[in-house]
Amino acid sequence: MFSTIIEQVINGIVTGSVYAIVAVGMTMIFGVLRAINFAHGEYYMLGTFGAWFAIDYLGLSYEASIVVAVLSTTVVAYVVGQLVMRRMVGAPAESGVLATLGIALILQNTVIFVFGGGYKFFAGGYIEPVSILGFSLAQQRIIILVVCLLVFIGLELMVTYSRLGMAMRAVSQNIQCCGVVGIDVPQVVLRTFVLGAALASLSGVLTAPVNVSVYGGMGELITFKTLPIIIMGGLGNVRGTFYAAMILGIAESLVATYIGLQFRDTVGFATLILMLMWRPHGLFSTQARF
Amino acid sequence: MTQTLTRRMLCISTAILSIAGVAPSLTARAYAADTIKLGIVAPMSGPNARYGGFSMHGAELAVKEINDAGGINGQKIELFNADSQGTPVEGVSATRRLIDQDGVDFIIGDVSSSVTLAMQPVAEDAEVLLLNAASSNPKITYQAGVGGFKWTYRNYPTDENRALVVAKYAAEQRGFTKFSVLSVDSDYGRSAITFTKKYLPDFKGEILSEDYYKEGEVDFRSVLAKIRDNGAQAIIMYGLADTTPIVARQMLELGLAGKVVLIGNGEFNTEKTIKSAPKAMEGAVEAAAWLPQYDSPASKAFVEKFTTTYKEAPNNHAYVHWDTVNLLAQAIKEAGTSDKNKVREALSKIKYTSPVGEVTFDDHNQARLPMILLQIEDGKPSIKGAYTAEIQYPAN
Repeated sequence: MFSTIIEQVINGIVTGSVYAIVAVGMTMIFGVLRAINFAHGEYYMLGTFGAWFAIDYLGLSYEASIVVAVLSTTVVAYVVGQLVMRRMVGAPAESGVLATLGIALILQNTVIFVFGGGYKFFAGGYIEPVSILGFSLAQQRIIILVVCLLVFIGLELMVTYSRLGMAMRAVSQNIQCCGVVGIDVPQVVLRTFVLGAALASLSGVLTAPVNVSVYGGMGELITFKTLPIIIMGGLGNVRGTFYAAMILGIAESLVATYIGLQFRDTVGFATLILMLMWRPHGLFSTQARF
Repeated sequence: MTQTLTRRMLCISTAILSIAGVAPSLTARAYAADTIKLGIVAPMSGPNARYGGFSMHGAELAVKEINDAGGINGQKIELFNADSQGTPVEGVSATRRLIDQDGVDFIIGDVSSSVTLAMQPVAEDAEVLLLNAASSNPKITYQAGVGGFKWTYRNYPTDENRALVVAKYAAEQRGFTKFSVLSVDSDYGRSAITFTKKYLPDFKGEILSEDYYKEGEVDFRSVLAKIRDNGAQAIIMYGLADTTPIVARQMLELGLAGKVVLIGNGEFNTEKTIKSAPKAMEGAVEAAAWLPQYDSPASKAFVEKFTTTYKEAPNNHAYVHWDTVNLLAQAIKEAGTSDKNKVREALSKIKYTSPVGEVTFDDHNQARLPMILLQIEDGKPSIKGAYTAEIQYPAN
């Protein structure tokens, strides 16, 4: 009984890691743009497709496919960033919703148009199980966990010490003042956006081996799972996002085990409603930042 | 003036059209002795058009074979096609068109269960024989024969057949008694489990856990961990084809591969699925109405003939329509006439040898059909034969 709970908590942490890498990009983009990026899950999908394409068509190894996937998504994100995202600085909230929803539809349907709507089989990755503390886990999941920790340590350091990180924080606090002190706001927005999209694609490539199926509509579910996380974590809060993702992952895992698999997706949406009712500014801050 | 003229024109043309509409059906009755009129209702357009295309090709092939061999009792079959678009509304008008305008006495249709359910009362009112070849909802024949509709027959195994056959095979051939359920959260996934539960006690089987997954679910580890710990011997899965590889991979991950097998339906036998986790798919049991690999001379001959005629391999729908036309032909032959009342009587008593085995009808006009069971052995689907199972209708 106790060991089952431990096992499910570990499962939850692994699931949470996937959510965390995707959600952190979304929350940073919100920080600088004040807009929810509804197309965020599509970069996750693009990453997975990029890797699938590299393996199936170019015959590359899984490691090389990670590079191809992240680079190609970065290119797409750069184009989208130049054409759309940087224009959203200072624009009303509804234009952000419309623009990102539109991008989501375009990216999703382009992929379906080019590669077809059927499910693809993802062949790469390390799926052999290993046993840790008596629990059996695919090697890939350990990779996901480690990469997630590295990403968050790196982001913490970047946000605190690097020039881009400081600029990001400044933009998230006051856009007008940034202009006064000479911070190129659209440039910061663009870079944050490309970074966020690249992280989402990395999460996609890392998850693909254990999720096996690759299809055009796979990004949508991820977008909707990340929404409660970034709200729970406090919009724009990197560390809060990490904890929130873990909480959602573990909660989902326990619900799936003890209540029923069909109720798994309920957890995220119920959390979203509860958070918006009682703590719309997130679990980790006492007052709203935006 | 112009308006009056238009209105008059409209009246006249309507009158002419209605006369023209009646005339062919009158002549049709008059010529009924010459040809046997058979209508096919199938989705020829819309999202299921592919199924309709296969169904029609299957029926055409059978009709051509029968007519080339001289017809039945000297009569040739004349084939009519009506498009249901896969929707009940269009299915009903298609059926009416076939009955009123083309004057058919026999209809085969539809693929979709909801369309077939809507067609049943229409066929009943017109006293036209409705022979279904491809719908699997059990309700269709629950309400046929002694259950109500005298003119509906079905030559296709139901979801209930499938559940029963799988449960029986798992219990009797594999000796399983402990099962866990992991099915898709839909009418199909849930009703298959409802029927599995109906029959499982007969085989001393018990269900230890029951979970349903939403379309798009990718993480089954918590459920699979539960199954690993509760000691189930098999997972009953009526699922989506695209989810099977994910489940199989995670079974591998949790060390269930080789210990617990999947039974049910969800494209367990495709190369893609097996390749995803060969160890987990080994021993999996699946039930299908028919598949091109089925090894009987008649089935092989059909596949070959269909492929040379239409330049593509037949699917399940092509086969069942081809087979059902042949079944009807034999019923007409045994009746000795194409009189629909006599044919219906003959159909109830028929012993028809199909490529998968002998077919007879029960008192609900449901064909006792074998389902083909296959088991994954050494990474390849191996056909374990065709199994028939008697449905227990609720007493009412």
